Amino acid sequence: MELLDRYLQAVKKHLPWKRQEDIIAELRANLEAQLEDKETELGRPLTTGESEDWLRQIGPPIRVAARYQPVQYLIGPAIFPTYWYVMRLAFLWSVVIYSIVSAIQIATQNPGETGVLEAVLRVPAILMQVAAWVTLIFAAIEFVATRYPAKWPEIAGISEEWTPSSLPPLETDAGADDKPRSYAHAVADVIFGFVFLIWMLLVPRYPYLLMGPGAAYVQGRLLFTPVLIQFYWWLLALNVIGLIWKCVDLVRGDWNGSLRLRHLFSKIFGLIPLGLLINAPDHAYVALKSSEGDRARYGLPMNSLNQAIHWFLMVVLAIALVDLLWDLGRIAVEAYRRRESALG
Amino acid sequence: MTISENLFENLRLELRRGCLILAVLAQLRQEHYGYTLRKSLAARGLEIDESTLYPLLRRLEAQGLLTSEWREEEKRNKRFYRLSGDGEQLLGQLLEEWRTINEALDATINSL
Repeated sequence: MELLDRYLQAVKKHLPWKRQEDIIAELRANLEAQLEDKETELGRPLTTGESEDWLRQIGPPIRVAARYQPVQYLIGPAIFPTYWYVMRLAFLWSVVIYSIVSAIQIATQNPGETGVLEAVLRVPAILMQVAAWVTLIFAAIEFVATRYPAKWPEIAGISEEWTPSSLPPLETDAGADDKPRSYAHAVADVIFGFVFLIWMLLVPRYPYLLMGPGAAYVQGRLLFTPVLIQFYWWLLALNVIGLIWKCVDLVRGDWNGSLRLRHLFSKIFGLIPLGLLINAPDHAYVALKSSEGDRARYGLPMNSLNQAIHWFLMVVLAIALVDLLWDLGRIAVEAYRRRESALG
Repeated sequence: MTISENLFENLRLELRRGCLILAVLAQLRQEHYGYTLRKSLAARGLEIDESTLYPLLRRLEAQGLLTSEWREEEKRNKRFYRLSGDGEQLLGQLLEEWRTINEALDATINSL
């Protein structure tokens, strides 16, 4: 039957070449015997439609051929958990490193919104490259581990050389932000908050509290630009709000509650003074006082100093953004898990 | 196919997988070629797809549980399979395991 020959030919194309002839000969013998039985039962040859139905019921050639192959994985179940763990780490670190490098590049070569947009648009391609490399490496490990399991027992996941005592200690679900605090801890937090606030208020009047003996030199020659003054007031305001929050929690007896919301507030609003500094006109943070001699002598180093401060701030911003995204992601994942467990 | 039908189908296949091997090994205490083996199992109420049975025979042979030989029958070359010595020993162990599981399952199900 021509249709059967065509079917077997299609199956053959997907079989391992070493065993093709043998498998097809056996399959042909079995299918022809089956066909003969059917025709004997009907008392006539099968029509084209009936033959098609019969072959369709046996299955698509590629699937029939696949059953003759050993089960193959690109990344098998033994190493998949490790693969997934490494993939997540690689994603995280590639984003962190890329953010830092991009911040520096933007600051030095392409400042402005276009530079930031271009950097953000490159992220998917970077992640795809990371995923491709990690997958390639693990596919190679899988390949070696499945072919030489005796040489790679740990990788193949068949190692018996483990002891329960070597297992890592129990992890608690609560993060650092969720650990309950004692009353003494909360009171100490408020006291230190007040001390810090007083120190901040005194710094403009007594700069040596911040800069030590160097304050005299700085006061004599350098001038803080208005953006730095604005930054100072923002920090002061955030600290005042934080302190009020702590006091209210203490008064309400809520000192052992979660710190997560407060920390999230600080991280989000902390971005405002940082953004203010980064967008400072001409990236000027400190300037020389009026002496002409100083300008001629220190003008260029002063520009470099301001530029260095700007780069540093970009790096800090990148880290702060990643940290904030990490926290938000964690909150989203926990909310999702809570919802899933509530749904049962 | 709905999700629950799909789930049932997957679980059914999983449940059948081990049983089919046991049935094939048991049936091959007597020599068969692929098609007659399929027919004899079907006659006992155990239908197996061609695309499942024929590759399974190859796998069991590669594992040393079956032996095979090409022989002409009714003017056609056919590959006949039979349980090997190792296969016979393993079948005995598997049947013992099967009976234990079966008894335990019966006891569990009937206790409900």
